[in-house]
Amino acid sequence: MEVGRLPISASQRSKLIAAGYTTLSSFSSLSPSHLARDLKISDNEAAEIMRVASHSHRLDGSAGGCGTVNGAQTAWDMLHEEEMFPRITTSCEDLDNILGGGINCKEVTEIGGVPGIGKTQLGIQLAINVQIPVDYGGLGGKAIYIDTEGSFMVERALQIAEACIEDMSECGGLLRKDSQACQLKMHPNNILENIFYFRVCSYTEQIALINYLDKFISEHKDVKIVIVDSVTFHFRQDFDDMALRTRLLSGMALKLMKLAKDFSLAVVLLNQVTTKYIDGSFQLTLALGDSWSHSCTNRVILYWNGNERYAYIDKSPSLRSASAPYSVTSKGIRNSASNCKRIKMM
Amino acid sequence: MAPLKSLEQEYPILDSNFQSFCASHDIFSVEDLLLHDLYVLAAFAEQESSSERLKQGIAQVLSIIDGQHQPWLNGIELLEDAQRNKHVLSTGCEGIDLLLHGGLRVGQLTELVGPSSSGKTQVCLLAASNVAKKHIGSVVYLDTGNSFSPQRVTQFICQHSDPAIDQAKHRTLQKVMNNISCKSVFDIFTMFDVLHQLEFNLRSQMQGGDCKVQLLIVDSVSSMVTPILGGSGSQGIHSWHALMISAGYLLKKLAHEHNIAVLVTNHTVGGDGGISKPALGESWKSIPHVRLLLSCDHGGSICNVSILKHPSMAVGKAARFMIHN
Repeated sequence: MEVGRLPISASQRSKLIAAGYTTLSSFSSLSPSHLARDLKISDNEAAEIMRVASHSHRLDGSAGGCGTVNGAQTAWDMLHEEEMFPRITTSCEDLDNILGGGINCKEVTEIGGVPGIGKTQLGIQLAINVQIPVDYGGLGGKAIYIDTEGSFMVERALQIAEACIEDMSECGGLLRKDSQACQLKMHPNNILENIFYFRVCSYTEQIALINYLDKFISEHKDVKIVIVDSVTFHFRQDFDDMALRTRLLSGMALKLMKLAKDFSLAVVLLNQVTTKYIDGSFQLTLALGDSWSHSCTNRVILYWNGNERYAYIDKSPSLRSASAPYSVTSKGIRNSASNCKRIKMM
Repeated sequence: MAPLKSLEQEYPILDSNFQSFCASHDIFSVEDLLLHDLYVLAAFAEQESSSERLKQGIAQVLSIIDGQHQPWLNGIELLEDAQRNKHVLSTGCEGIDLLLHGGLRVGQLTELVGPSSSGKTQVCLLAASNVAKKHIGSVVYLDTGNSFSPQRVTQFICQHSDPAIDQAKHRTLQKVMNNISCKSVFDIFTMFDVLHQLEFNLRSQMQGGDCKVQLLIVDSVSSMVTPILGGSGSQGIHSWHALMISAGYLLKKLAHEHNIAVLVTNHTVGGDGGISKPALGESWKSIPHVRLLLSCDHGGSICNVSILKHPSMAVGKAARFMIHN
């Protein structure tokens, strides 16, 4: 039934079907008041239904190209578009290498690891690195940090911001850039100003906030990264209705995907881990199970290897599976200080 | 179908006299007429004063209904159609092609099921690159997870060509890549709009030529259904079910009528006893013609594929394949 695919409420749909209108063309030529009388609803409601139906009908009739879909891009165009968006560096060269240069815009990247591995540190580092000016190879954008656990420490962010500015001025000096153009006007306070911080305390707040982000980002077009730390915290405890949880999580994942695509920004989701018994051994997997594991474009798992911190690419459409060491220093995320800096290819 | 009174404009024989006659038998729409015993109705019409017109009206409604369904086909016509139009598209992956006796069959809906990182998107990208490169036809890729990677597609296309003249290679690459269109869809209603648009475009374009769509990929159909799956609130218990089933039917209809191979991906969920099973439940099981289960060795590049459902091959048949980097 054609009316089955209209985004209207179930009661409106059943009234339409009960009155005999099962295809869009059957009521598209009626006047709203006629329809309102037939369905015994208000004129406004009928007008709304007709508007939605004519929108669908119009899309059907609009002329396309060679059998392709309106609004679709060819792969060739997409290839060149990708080159326009630089990736967001993590400040750790090895990590950047396995990520193909850094965190990619237009994609949702999930980063998971055991507590204490440095997820929040990485989150803060990315919130600062996205602000690196275009002259220094960065994006020059702002960041949104959504904190669900209360783990964001402003003093630490300040520390990392200062270290980042130091590194940039060193870099600028080495490259002997023109002092006029690239006088580093950045001050740690500027960096902190460009991080929009939201604290959420329940899953309803989290979902409401993600729904609101669409409007917020249209008003602040220079936001280039959204970090959610951690995305699953409020969904892990006290959820009686698992089916509802799956629906909410997958709906949220799709909204984040849409945000990333529409506004060309990077979405980074930090997640906790749990153990799973697979093939006779316990393996670390990210929390929230199978259905959530499909809700990201890329996945990076952080883990301990002896005394070293390692990152492993678990899922990616274009990157190979590889792992790289990194370390958390007072300046933020940096290359691992150990001697063996080989990147293990799996 | 519409209520009878709205058909009056187009078919003047269904005038108010006819409508009031039908109303007296509780018939208000064409569907009501279908539920009625037509002989009994004709008998009642005989007793009325304008019996001839009434019977003509009934015949008119019946012919409207007749115009709604597809024409009948016999076995020979079906065989001719299968031999002429429903050929096989190679996926570019030897293991899968061997398992499927050639590749994806045009006119059929093939489903790839697998846990996360089992290679479903890779197979989709490989199939898209192969069809765009080898066959004269275009690919439509509907992506729900921003996973369409043009670089990966470039890698696949340039894999087997020899490193010859750069310029010629560049031009062929452009031609091939222009044959693949990608659209991001993030909810099921948008997907319906997109598919109906595609159907309209296919119906109104000329046959043949470079633009003919050969492969439609939806990656993944489960991400679109899961946000509404099992909803009992405003959507109603059966509403998500109806949407999912009609999406499946629409994909199969597109495949059969316009000679397209459709490839969709689905993920797995935990089942009884910890064994994972495909998502989307029992009712989705009967929709795809072919279901393949993918799994990948942890961290390895060798993947397993086995048949879960196929119209002509045994379930459980398996193969291994490797996606080159």
